[in-house]
Amino acid sequence: MQPYLYFIAVGIATTLPRSFFLLLGERIRLPQQLMEALRYAPAAALSALTMPDIFLEQDVIDIANPKVWASAVVLLTTLRCRNAWLPFISGMLALYIASNWPGLPF
Amino acid sequence: MNPDFIAGAREGLKSYLPVSFGIVPWAIATAIAMRSAGFSFTDSAIMSVLVYGATAQIGTLPLIVAQASLVSVFATALVLNLRFFIFGATLSPVFKGQSRWQRLLAGHLMSDGVVASLTGRLLAQAQPARRMGLYLGPSSWNWLLWQASTVAGLLFYESIPRSASLNYLSTIALLVLIASLSRQLQMVAVVVCSALLAIWLRHLPYRLGLFAAIVAGIACGYLLDRLPRRRRG
Repeated sequence: MQPYLYFIAVGIATTLPRSFFLLLGERIRLPQQLMEALRYAPAAALSALTMPDIFLEQDVIDIANPKVWASAVVLLTTLRCRNAWLPFISGMLALYIASNWPGLPF
Repeated sequence: MNPDFIAGAREGLKSYLPVSFGIVPWAIATAIAMRSAGFSFTDSAIMSVLVYGATAQIGTLPLIVAQASLVSVFATALVLNLRFFIFGATLSPVFKGQSRWQRLLAGHLMSDGVVASLTGRLLAQAQPARRMGLYLGPSSWNWLLWQASTVAGLLFYESIPRSASLNYLSTIALLVLIASLSRQLQMVAVVVCSALLAIWLRHLPYRLGLFAAIVAGIACGYLLDRLPRRRRG
């Protein structure tokens, strides 16, 4: 399929939520409970998208592969430091070390 | 242009400028993710302009590469952007009295950074033109910086060695988001719940496993919120 169809779909799925309540103004209010539940949607979606990539190696669960170690480093760096570059740098470095260091147990 | 608008834009830019540079590594990671997924420089630039949303771009790339159905790509992007419904509901009084096109433009330009750093001041500003400047000034800057950094990342990709591990950059980008969301216990539970289900149900057709994992994660967070709290009064 043409990539542009996908791009347009993703574009609409991005501008729609951003503009929705701006266009409607005060005419519609979401129930408070729904708003509260929606807070969890991004975390749930991000996790469901990323974690299989991290924990699976050729469709087999491997909880000690280089990506898992590198991910732990990324999470720690993000939680500890405020620098926006550091998780990317430390994560790639950790992935490189974990995949190339022959003495390490992974 | 209206002097109030300009004064508002100047005020907003002054406070948003230092924070805004946090998006640069993101844009570069997004650019590299698009190129690594196999899209040309031009296609990647077009995606960046059409979507203008890192999470939706990076998150849907694997589905697009796998030629998943248009519906599941749309639904995934929508779920990744659900937070903007909440931001929009919070910010909607800011745009009272503005034309439909201005609201649409304001929505298209909405960014996490501007919402996070200026919501309080936007809601407090009573003068409409100044309020629009306060929103559109920093938001336009964010757009420019994002697109420029994306182009820089696309160019940078040409000069680095091709490697399979480059794909991991997009995983890092999503992990950083997960980590910054997970400062509450409920969020951690949501992340774990969705992860387990997504891995367990990965062979279901039509990416149903992905959506089941998302729904279960949301339900998990919602139910934890409803639990009686022992220690909080």
